[in-house]
Amino acid sequence: MNCAQASRLMHEYFDGDLAQAEAARLKAHLDGCPECRERFAGYERTEAFLHMALAAPVGRDAPDRAALTERIMGSLPVRRRRTFVRWLRQYPGVTVAAMLGLVLLAGFIASWEQDKVLVVRGSDLSQIVIEGNRVVVPEGALVNGDLVVENGEAVVNGEIRGNLTVIDGTVNMASTAKVIGEAREINQAIDWLWYKLRSAVIGLAS
Amino acid sequence: MKPIEARLARRALKGDHQAFAEIVALYQDKLYHLAFRMLGSRQEAEDVTQEAFLRVYRNLDRYDEGMKFSTWIYRIATNLCIDRLRKRKQTFSLDAESAEHEGLDGYAFIPGDDRTPENEMLLTETQRIVREAIETLPAKYKSVMVLRYLHDLSLQEIGEVLDMPVTTVKTRVHRGREFLRKKLERKL
Repeated sequence: MNCAQASRLMHEYFDGDLAQAEAARLKAHLDGCPECRERFAGYERTEAFLHMALAAPVGRDAPDRAALTERIMGSLPVRRRRTFVRWLRQYPGVTVAAMLGLVLLAGFIASWEQDKVLVVRGSDLSQIVIEGNRVVVPEGALVNGDLVVENGEAVVNGEIRGNLTVIDGTVNMASTAKVIGEAREINQAIDWLWYKLRSAVIGLAS
Repeated sequence: MKPIEARLARRALKGDHQAFAEIVALYQDKLYHLAFRMLGSRQEAEDVTQEAFLRVYRNLDRYDEGMKFSTWIYRIATNLCIDRLRKRKQTFSLDAESAEHEGLDGYAFIPGDDRTPENEMLLTETQRIVREAIETLPAKYKSVMVLRYLHDLSLQEIGEVLDMPVTTVKTRVHRGREFLRKKLERKL
């Protein structure tokens, strides 16, 4: 082993990476080489000094812990809780659509709340009798087309050649009643909404 | 079970302020010590510590749980220190230029060092010499040596902190050790 090789092994030794066998070889070289022994001692001192100088507590250079903690925590941006707002900013299209939907829904619900008066709609109302909030199709009478009753009771004794729709009310069918089309009862806001939408679409289509 | 820091990081990411405060409590002293040994100034060490935690906070969502939390946080702090050391070097070269033009007070550019003479007296002569020797190390050697001797990191961990191969870390430790041995041999 020459001195350059020994120097390399010394570094390995101080890195804590020197294998047992190589340590023995280094030892043999050091025993016979005063120069390398001196060098080894120099590294040993350096290591000790470095540990002492670097790992020693900072002593009087220590900061005011509490003040530093406060400074750190105070410097943090406030933002985590506002992820929803950030999300809205990120997707303006969705936001606008949602706002529009909200306004429409509010309008529908408001009009649903307001519609408490009796409404009767149909293409042929000539034979219909209204008693209070009861809408009666008398026995033997014939309604030619659809009939819509809102906020009332539909009493059917005669014949309807079309659909019967009752919104927020009840249907009372006699044994003599005959409905050619569909008889529907709508009592909930969502159903009603669906009905409005459907009639709007059908209205647009026709 | 995940290491405590990873769990704290997750909670902090969900907006738990207390969890982040716990991370700060765990690492504040370590980062300050590291920064102080790297920069030698209390003011700068405090600035770097605060900035490092701010970066940690902003990048919590990018923390890779495959890496030790300490490695990640030391990386952030070490990089900030290295940046400052580099800037300091540039400041010095600017200083040299302006000194040629004269009229400007060159001393204004010397980085702040608030070690008082009184403080200085508390250090033994040996400690002073060793620290001065470390001060003269170039930044790339200094960071390796500080991580190695201050926090007793393994060469492998230093490689991860500085994002470089272990062989490079080794070379730097060896050169740093050699440099300091020669420097100290003459003075002690």
